[in-house]
Amino acid sequence: MRELTVSYDTPLGAVRAADRISFGLRAGERLGFAGESGSGKSTVALAILRMIQPPGRIEGGEVRLDGVDLLSLADEDMRRVRLARIALIPQGSMNALNPVLRIGDQIIDALRDHEIRTSARERDARVRELLESVGLRSEVAEMFPHELSGGMKQRACIAIAISLRPRVIIADEPTSALDVVVQKQVMETLARVQKDLGASVILVGHDMGLMAQFVDRLGIMYAGRLIEASPVRAILTRSLHPYTRMLIASLPSLEQKGTFNGIPGLIPLLRDLPPGCAFHPRCPDAVDRCRTERPGLREVRPDSWAACHLV
Amino acid sequence: MTTLLEARHATRIFDGGYFDRTSTLALDDFSLAIDGDRPSIIAVVGESGSGKTTLARLLLGLTSPTQGQILYKGQELQTMSRAVWRAFRRDVQVIFQDPYGVYNPFYRIDHVLTTPIAKFGLAASRAEARASIDGVLRAVGLRPEETLGRFAHQLSGGQRQRIMVARALLLRPRVILADEPVSMVDASLRATILASLRTMNRDLGISIVYITHDLATAYQISDTIVVLYRGSVVEIGDVELVVKRPQHPYTQLLLSSIPLASPERTWMTEKPSTPVAATETIDHGCKFAGRCPSVAASCRESAPSLFQTDRDRAVACYLYRDAPTVTGDHRQPGRSR
Repeated sequence: MRELTVSYDTPLGAVRAADRISFGLRAGERLGFAGESGSGKSTVALAILRMIQPPGRIEGGEVRLDGVDLLSLADEDMRRVRLARIALIPQGSMNALNPVLRIGDQIIDALRDHEIRTSARERDARVRELLESVGLRSEVAEMFPHELSGGMKQRACIAIAISLRPRVIIADEPTSALDVVVQKQVMETLARVQKDLGASVILVGHDMGLMAQFVDRLGIMYAGRLIEASPVRAILTRSLHPYTRMLIASLPSLEQKGTFNGIPGLIPLLRDLPPGCAFHPRCPDAVDRCRTERPGLREVRPDSWAACHLV
Repeated sequence: MTTLLEARHATRIFDGGYFDRTSTLALDDFSLAIDGDRPSIIAVVGESGSGKTTLARLLLGLTSPTQGQILYKGQELQTMSRAVWRAFRRDVQVIFQDPYGVYNPFYRIDHVLTTPIAKFGLAASRAEARASIDGVLRAVGLRPEETLGRFAHQLSGGQRQRIMVARALLLRPRVILADEPVSMVDASLRATILASLRTMNRDLGISIVYITHDLATAYQISDTIVVLYRGSVVEIGDVELVVKRPQHPYTQLLLSSIPLASPERTWMTEKPSTPVAATETIDHGCKFAGRCPSVAASCRESAPSLFQTDRDRAVACYLYRDAPTVTGDHRQPGRSR
């Protein structure tokens, strides 16, 4: 992805929900995008699939998958890419499934839509195999979404997502509606099917704990900008950007009491971003340059990138 | 000990709808006492369906227990006089989960602050009212000049939730019930809101009942923790003991399921466990038996009572049957204070 920019037209003018985002996703890698609400993390995920709805629009940039620029594909070609090459596991599995179709039929629906013609017996076998691969019993194929728990519905969504063996799986807050015990089971399932397929995963979310435990590399978003991108271990132990550092310090720990601190100030409004670095009004280390000049993302250490004048 | 607010063997059963004969046991024989003289922070932790919101609604008098009692200064909520209700409504305040849903979009946010002042006659003049509003807004880290006069949609979720904390504070209550107050607030602002709850407890002597699914924030702010599973208390006691050395298999499962933001990656296991059926009905015995790794035959026969395993902790599990049983109405083990 190069210089991807997504804007939303509002009565008060266009706002940039994702501002010149560049990153590379490696084969088989688990990449995370973390940020608070309005940081642009979901926008990036949806833009990859060209699923930005008006008044939003992709203003510019490139999204390449194995050398093919997705943004210049015809709509019909892009439709074929979705699910087959890049699959989405949406947020809130309870709303993503069709309430009046059996789970098995919803999986078949996806296969049929991508013109995979097989005999009924082969199809049923494939459905069974997919359900089993996400830890669901094959009887689930005959069930309706309301008969399943939240975790089982999310597994069904994973089964659909992997049905065409995609190269990339985008998971947008896949467990935000689930209890913590179930979240762990769902993430373990996702990790296993990803490994089996050899696919890459882009995990979008706000839970730094989940990121720490799941992804290999992590990008931190703030006010529509990618402000840091490093291997997750480096982010946790030697983060570069002050926002990342403060975000990690704000997490409640289970080891030591009284060790978490909020970040003072508020998340800026996208239509009224401060000049220079968008974080400078909340940054304890800000200098004059931060107030006037926007820092670009640069490689500070090997594989560790940050957009900050101070590093 | 003067008990301000108390749940005594409170049970709440929800009947199924017209076509549904099954009923749901939302809260099962729950007892908790909030001491009026020793302000504390009690965290009630549980997953969805554990009965934590039912507990909040019972303690607020929004719903009545099927069995047992909810008492305010020794009087049962359902039979209190109007005058006592009025005192209750001032002494017991609530902060709800959703900082979006509690505001009327047609009113300026000033409305939620001026209404209680008018209702309870808290100020003699406009100037006095404004001064106390400014005071509570500052107490939660908001600047009055940037906050008042706005509509709810012009404020962020974190700001809206802090106004709810300010509103609760305005009435100088004895107890604040906070039902998932930060689950819809961004991470960087969470700590600020929780810190203001902590300050209210320490500096103003307000007891807090913090209801949450998040053990990490519960650990950070509370003194005592109650772990609920499907309406029953499985473990209760001093927060350090429960979090650092959990005894109930469910508490252990819950703690091991939290993904920690640490560079040590030990969270995921290679072989994911299979999901449990959504509707597993247990008529008698321990409700956790179906998922428990240490389950024994006796667990399915009758439900374990609370065993006092430490001075400051009790666990409802037969693994600790050698410890004495907790009896009486005050099931709260002594707090370390």
